[in-house]
Amino acid sequence: MKTAIGLFLSLLLCLFCLVLAAAAKTGDAKDKGKDASTPAVSHSAEYDAMRLEGEKRYHSNCGRCHAAPPKFAPRMMATIVRHMRVRSTITDQDMHLILRYMTQ
Amino acid sequence: MRTLVRTKRVNHAHLLLFFALFSMAVYGQDSIKDDGIKDDGLRPVPILTGSTAYFTRVTGGQVQDVPSVSPLLLAPFGDKWLIEAKGNLSDTYAKNVHGDYIGTVGYGLGYAQIDYIANRFVTVAAGRFITPFGMYGERLGPNWVRALQVSPLTNPIISGSSLGGMLRGGFPAGTDKVNLNYAFYFSTANTNHLLATDRSTGGRIGFFLPGPRLEIGASFQQLLQADRSHSVGVHAEWQPNSLPLTLRSEFAHSSGLKGSGYWIESVYRLSQVPYMHRLEVTSRVQQFLANPKLTKGAAGKLGALGRDTNQGDFGLNYYLRSDVRASASYGRQFALNKNANIWVIGMTYRFVMPLGLKGGAL
Repeated sequence: MKTAIGLFLSLLLCLFCLVLAAAAKTGDAKDKGKDASTPAVSHSAEYDAMRLEGEKRYHSNCGRCHAAPPKFAPRMMATIVRHMRVRSTITDQDMHLILRYMTQ
Repeated sequence: MRTLVRTKRVNHAHLLLFFALFSMAVYGQDSIKDDGIKDDGLRPVPILTGSTAYFTRVTGGQVQDVPSVSPLLLAPFGDKWLIEAKGNLSDTYAKNVHGDYIGTVGYGLGYAQIDYIANRFVTVAAGRFITPFGMYGERLGPNWVRALQVSPLTNPIISGSSLGGMLRGGFPAGTDKVNLNYAFYFSTANTNHLLATDRSTGGRIGFFLPGPRLEIGASFQQLLQADRSHSVGVHAEWQPNSLPLTLRSEFAHSSGLKGSGYWIESVYRLSQVPYMHRLEVTSRVQQFLANPKLTKGAAGKLGALGRDTNQGDFGLNYYLRSDVRASASYGRQFALNKNANIWVIGMTYRFVMPLGLKGGAL
């Protein structure tokens, strides 16, 4: 029993360290991300390229398990993509590209 | 005894060191570069999603009608947090020994976890979660997702749910051509009849090649109670770029009493055939091998896990809409003195609705 408690406490401590490290990183990144808080909607060549890349990532990631769902409202889509990022361990880059594709 | 205690302490120290180093390494990696993709500026809203289903199953002449609902609550907060909880409720109608048609209610909690997306490499999850082993349980379990409603025979080899903490994530493995995904967890024992979990640890690691759309991976689970058995598994999935075809396979082996098995599944969408592009043709072959050392008594207690079984299934899925699917399948199970036909027919409906805000505005 003591061993189990010890192991559990060790795990908790580890998780705490991890969260702390991540929180510190988030703090650093806040200033960098200020200009990112507004949606970037501009129809440039770069934008179209990212949209196409998003479609490609969507098919290669989402299509592995289920049929194509319809596009939902953007803020709902943001929740769904966050959920799928955790569930399907898709990469951060794929998540952003898929979200962009599904909300434009 | 002293040696044993000391070994365990050393193991704890190793575990602590591993997580600490892992955290530092990940933190360091995250500082290296920005991937150039800006935040989309969307504030996610809580949603209620999930599925409802109605299926009629005939197994060896025994008819069951099973309506069910599996709601999933997704509640994001901040930029990095997500609470997800999935329940299920079903009513199984079947004839009893007196010939009366009665229903038996079943309910449970699939998972209830809180996720913290620490950075691009790590998500920390805590609570009750689906045990990360292979790909079926986590990804293909929901009835609106699975190609065949009959579960693989290898499913009961692993404890389906865990209670504890988990680290998971996916990131490019040094190149855009290979993505690495992983999940490592520790689970405590819980004896509640609805929320039972085993004390165990384990994980899964996979490599996904987006170009050829191929994933291969391996899983491990060490039970830290009862017979302290371990399980290993490998899985693979391939979607050729030139065909609307999906091929999947899993293998699992337990060192304990639960035996080993594998399944191979194919899903072909007739998307290139006029008037039939909403139809999917699916099939699965599988084999389960019981532990040869089982005594008759132990085999009886294990039920389906106590006998060698071969099974083949063939099915059709028709998408009436993207969220409404009609399914039918036939399977033949070969087991010693237990050969049976398995028929399944029914429908699933996947729903998604915002809670509160409509979710349209930014």
